[in-house]
Amino acid sequence: MKFKDYYETIGLPRGATQAEIKQAYRKLARKYHPDVSKAADAEARFKELGEAYAVLKDPEKRAAYDQMGSQWKAGQEFRPPPGWDDGFEFSGRDGGSGEGMDQNDFFEALFGRQTRGAKRTASHGHGEDHHARVLIDLADAYRGAKRSISLRVPEMDAQGHVAMRERKLDINIPKGIHAGQHLRLAGQGEPGPGESPAGDLYLEIGFNPHPPFRIDGRDVFVDLPLAPWEAALGCSLTIPTPDGSVQLSVPAGSAAGRQLRLKGKGIPGDPPGDLYTVLGIALPPAVTDSQKEAYRAMAQSFVFNARDA
Amino acid sequence: MKGESIMSNTGTSTGRWPIVEEEIQLTLPELCRACRASEEHVIAWVFEGALEAIGQAPQEWRFSGQSLRRARLATWLTLDLELNPPGVALALDLLDEIAALQARIQRAGGRWPAG
Repeated sequence: MKFKDYYETIGLPRGATQAEIKQAYRKLARKYHPDVSKAADAEARFKELGEAYAVLKDPEKRAAYDQMGSQWKAGQEFRPPPGWDDGFEFSGRDGGSGEGMDQNDFFEALFGRQTRGAKRTASHGHGEDHHARVLIDLADAYRGAKRSISLRVPEMDAQGHVAMRERKLDINIPKGIHAGQHLRLAGQGEPGPGESPAGDLYLEIGFNPHPPFRIDGRDVFVDLPLAPWEAALGCSLTIPTPDGSVQLSVPAGSAAGRQLRLKGKGIPGDPPGDLYTVLGIALPPAVTDSQKEAYRAMAQSFVFNARDA
Repeated sequence: MKGESIMSNTGTSTGRWPIVEEEIQLTLPELCRACRASEEHVIAWVFEGALEAIGQAPQEWRFSGQSLRRARLATWLTLDLELNPPGVALALDLLDEIAALQARIQRAGGRWPAG
């Protein structure tokens, strides 16, 4: 297990006031919330930030964390010293949404016992709902698929110690699902207290990156570069789609930026999405004498000013 | 209103799980549990127009599956950024607008600047 320097995460020195911590968290959280930022590492950064803030915003947890001293550096191999939290009483109060919190070994090793021990049971006697994000392949959305996923969940033993357990789930990915949608797995959340029902597990679906495809809802976009003569004279091409190849007729006189729609070839559904090919023109370089001559012949044949086109 | 579920003792799950955004309507307690917000908060967001509820009284309310993402975001804006309901409503509307603009840029083949 690696040591995590929560002060480094939030960008403040150890002596920062609670007000400064709150302010720094908010500033960074606004920057990295996955619904706000499109940066590739936004989600990971936001989770790290949520974890750091969960500790530093709580004076009890912060004091216990501070007691471990400043000799630890981020990334160092770390094991909490026995009795590291002796003399600290945790009220287990939870002042935030826990939205950015991702359960992980370091946090759970330090605070799992206290937070789990003081678990809220206010949700009408229900176990709590859990949320997780899973990435699937675009082809799975086209055809539907059965996939095995693994989630990490904290689990408390009889002595009140928390360990991270890997939980495997077989899920059926319904045909037609797209990024941002959720699956609800009823009864697969946290077990309920006593006889009461377990919470649900919500899985938010995301797509693995699929170059050359771009996806918006059910619509899929793919760039299609053409040679100038293909664009000018028209052509018939075989193009890739996430669900196999299709034949596409490019009309004569197609300009760069033109979008050709293949109706219903996007992600299936009611109605299904469309597949758009976005035309581009790739210019062949004039290297040899005959190639240069071909361009000169073109220039002679056209009365064409690109600035007026 | 619950999706059909088949559970086994091994902790695996099979069966057909519903797509929240297309197949599910949530009651007020279900939405509160899913986004870890109090009923008072959710009711305030509805009255402010940040969330849309179908039905008259809160106990009859049904929320479309699309409300789940908005409600989770509203919880974060409220608890961590301490926005009040009008602030939540404004932030959600602006985020929707940004998402629509990003989608338009992506459709046109452009790249949204990361960061």
